[in-house]
Amino acid sequence: MKLNDHIQNLGARVAAVQILAFILLAVLGVRLYYLQIVKGAYYAERAENQRVRLIPIPAPRGAIFDRNGKILVDSRPTYNVVLANEPLKKLDLSGRIDDYSAGLGMERQFVVERLNLIKKQNDFETMVLKENATMQDIAWVESHSIEFPELLIELQPQRFYPLGTVLSHVLGYVGEISPTQLEDADYKDKGFRAGDIIGKGGLEQYYDEYLRGRPGYRKVIVDSRGRVQTEIARVPPQAGMDLITTIDLDLQMAAEQQLESSSTKRGTIVSMDPNNGEILAMASHPAYDPNVFIQGASKPEGRRQIAAYWQDEKRPLYNRATQGRYPPGSTWKIPEYVGALEQGVITPQHSNMLCGGGITIGNKFTRCMGNHGSPPLDYAITKSCDGYAYHLGLKMGIEGMVKMIQTFQFDKPTGIDLPNEKVSQTPKSWMPWILKHEGKWSDIRTVYASIGQDTVVATPIAMLRAISSVGTEGKMYTPHFLKEFKPIAAIGEEDDPNYIPARQGFTYQHPEPAIIPMTDDQYHVMLRGMWGVVNNGGTAGAIKMEGWEIAGKTGTAQVSELGSGGAKDHAWFISFAPAYKPEIAIVALIENSGFGAANAAPAAKGVYEAYLAKRDPALPIITQEEATGKKGGGN
Amino acid sequence: MAAILEKRDLRDFDWLTAVLAIAIACFGIWQIHNALPTESYWSKQIIGLGIALVGFLVVAFSDYRRIVDYAPLFFVVGLVLLLLVVTPLGVEVNGQKAWLKLPVIGQFQPSEFMKIPTVLMLAKYFGSRKSGPLQLRETIIGGLIFAAPIGLIMLEPDAGQAITYFPILAAVLFLSGLKLRYVVLATVAAAVFVPSAYILGVKTGKIKRYQQERILAIIDPDSVDPRGYGYHTIQSTITVGKGGLAGIQGDTETSQSVLKFLPEPHTDFIFAVTAENSGFIGCVSLLLAYALLLSRMIAGARQSSDRAGMLVIMSVVSAMAFQIFMNIGMAQGFLPVIGVPLPLMSAGLSAILTTFIAIGFVVSIRMRRFVN
Repeated sequence: MKLNDHIQNLGARVAAVQILAFILLAVLGVRLYYLQIVKGAYYAERAENQRVRLIPIPAPRGAIFDRNGKILVDSRPTYNVVLANEPLKKLDLSGRIDDYSAGLGMERQFVVERLNLIKKQNDFETMVLKENATMQDIAWVESHSIEFPELLIELQPQRFYPLGTVLSHVLGYVGEISPTQLEDADYKDKGFRAGDIIGKGGLEQYYDEYLRGRPGYRKVIVDSRGRVQTEIARVPPQAGMDLITTIDLDLQMAAEQQLESSSTKRGTIVSMDPNNGEILAMASHPAYDPNVFIQGASKPEGRRQIAAYWQDEKRPLYNRATQGRYPPGSTWKIPEYVGALEQGVITPQHSNMLCGGGITIGNKFTRCMGNHGSPPLDYAITKSCDGYAYHLGLKMGIEGMVKMIQTFQFDKPTGIDLPNEKVSQTPKSWMPWILKHEGKWSDIRTVYASIGQDTVVATPIAMLRAISSVGTEGKMYTPHFLKEFKPIAAIGEEDDPNYIPARQGFTYQHPEPAIIPMTDDQYHVMLRGMWGVVNNGGTAGAIKMEGWEIAGKTGTAQVSELGSGGAKDHAWFISFAPAYKPEIAIVALIENSGFGAANAAPAAKGVYEAYLAKRDPALPIITQEEATGKKGGGN
Repeated sequence: MAAILEKRDLRDFDWLTAVLAIAIACFGIWQIHNALPTESYWSKQIIGLGIALVGFLVVAFSDYRRIVDYAPLFFVVGLVLLLLVVTPLGVEVNGQKAWLKLPVIGQFQPSEFMKIPTVLMLAKYFGSRKSGPLQLRETIIGGLIFAAPIGLIMLEPDAGQAITYFPILAAVLFLSGLKLRYVVLATVAAAVFVPSAYILGVKTGKIKRYQQERILAIIDPDSVDPRGYGYHTIQSTITVGKGGLAGIQGDTETSQSVLKFLPEPHTDFIFAVTAENSGFIGCVSLLLAYALLLSRMIAGARQSSDRAGMLVIMSVVSAMAFQIFMNIGMAQGFLPVIGVPLPLMSAGLSAILTTFIAIGFVVSIRMRRFVN
């Protein structure tokens, strides 16, 4: 026939079919060009994103040691059951809840919470379903890998605090970075991501940057169900740096024990080397167990314990040594008298002031504990004469007191290497408020301030630093815990793209000590008084030790409004020893226990005994007699 | 006598069509291997191709006019087989009975084979008509011939397969003198009404997402993914796109199909596999090969010695072009996911055997172009 049917235009119709077929093929070709050439890179990336997954390998955190190499904090391996998010997104999870809770022995409610959380996460991230998986849990997951491919086992180094509550405020703890921290620009700049473990509180927080290692990762290819097919790269993690602290664990245990056996079991004991600021012990009671925060956060009972810590009125989470502010009571007289000597209000030769059994301001009489006549400075210290302090305080005036506060830097943090240190409050900081509300600074406030009450609240660490500077004849060092960070080797070769450079070790960089101006005469008159407190019939005579001369000052700080009674007083004792060549300084504060001499001084003595027990007996101990050529106190 | 006939047959045998078809099928086997190298689909497809070639040669060297004469017989046998599919003899997969399992022969898909008797039946009826515009009576009879297999296929139900029959009827009616005004009317009506109604429905929110899903489910139940409409389309588009210029050339580490992101890689989405592995270069070559094959077949239609032969070839061309467009359009993500195999490429014995038998007719018709 050869398409010779002109009536139907058959040739043209066949041509039309052919053209239509070509058009369809051309459409496919154009679309192909768009997908593969124009958008090829985009789709290649999408495909890569859904098949390549980075599985982080957590880096072990640096351990923390005491000054003698005893372990304080460590990491140990634990296993977690984790949920891989990717296959989960396509599953109906409600049917899994009972399986999980039965198989892993978890509370149903907790499984529900975890599954709700994971929905908010990005793809390719995993979420911990159960921490500290037991061998049974691991076996259960492995044997159900076909049924529940979304469950995986992950190795996780976990922080472990072998000492429990001991030193907990100093060490702090670690935990997942909080949502608010993630918003913080400081953390963002450092590249933190959700789920990162960071230090929270204590040295863990302060030195987080060095303790934290650099995580490695496995780059793997997964199939559409999230199962790992091949590993294409592995970058090993670099461990964090080990921290050697200045802590002496034996002294720490002694301090902890003293607080434990104190009458209220609330308070703090801090010990420092006055010659360089190294903290030897810092105990604060009541304390908490950091392990609760590590292991307990995923368990209902653990979370209850954490909530209880936060709600406890005794405030176990706060470090009384650096965050507690207490009226210093008579311990305040030590920096005050040094200031008075420096300012020339009194001199070592003419230091007598009237006691008079007290003072009358307006029509109000404020009394002294006794009547000491008109004592010299050293006697006033030894007996803790309040009348002397009242009159001296009025003589030096509030301006003189403020000057002293600046000299001893009570208006600044001590600079100790712990986060969230509180600054003492003093007449200097109160001055603007008082002037605004009362018009002038009244004499009665000066009198109260002269015995460390009313407008004066100081942190124990600030008081310790102040008294230590008297022992060193005016050198005031910054208290600190860091002795040394150990170096860490590099990971990989230098030309390797995944090379992690080595980290240099370093030691504590001492700031220049602040200088408290003090003549030799001034030093000796102060020392004579403080030596007498323990060794010459002073307020703390009861803790006198044979062959170990402590210089100190007791304090009994009234808690409620002066004279109104109420809760028992805070007991203070600030000290160093040996008096004329100090090796160790100690502050003890026992909350609401009563007299400083009866409650705080014996606690300090207990720590001194622990120090002496391990002190090299061959080393000489300088006595007052050797240092001054005189026996006993008095002029 | 036999030798002379054989010599003339070999001289007139359409080598180009045969070589092109076999080449595309071999390319397809390679891609089936790329899709799932650890599975045996590709080796089964080699056997399938062997069987298909036997069928092809038998048909090619037969006189198509004799076969067209017997078309009613084939047609009735085909209808009986389609009926058997919906009886308990049919094999049900995903709520759909498209397969028939018979002793000795094994499992096959009658709706795929039925295209051949349908084409022959239509060619027989419209091939014997006189010249002149198509009459209403003829259109109705043609429509009835067509409706019989379609009706039975919809009983399975296999809408995807049914759709591939429409180009056959369209081609036959168009080439039998259907008045152009009806052609234009039908085209405009289909081109304007169907998409605009759908788009309007979607845009105004009358057709909700789940309804779109349902519409798809009605069109083709076995292609609606329980994990959500769109998963197939998205993964296929990604797979095509990532192939880029030259493709990944069988790299199993990054293969979308080996990693199971791409569903049905060896059958419905064999084009995505091809695109991923051989890239733009390979795919354009494939499209050109299809274009060449179709052109060569159309050239045969033009030279056909009778109207029936012309109609058979053009039906085959239309059905193939339509399937290519539907399948690749689906793989490229701009047509809905309908289980239409890609001719000569997708794994499956029924499909490749049917295609080669159809090409066998094309070759047979061309071989007899000088016979009167």
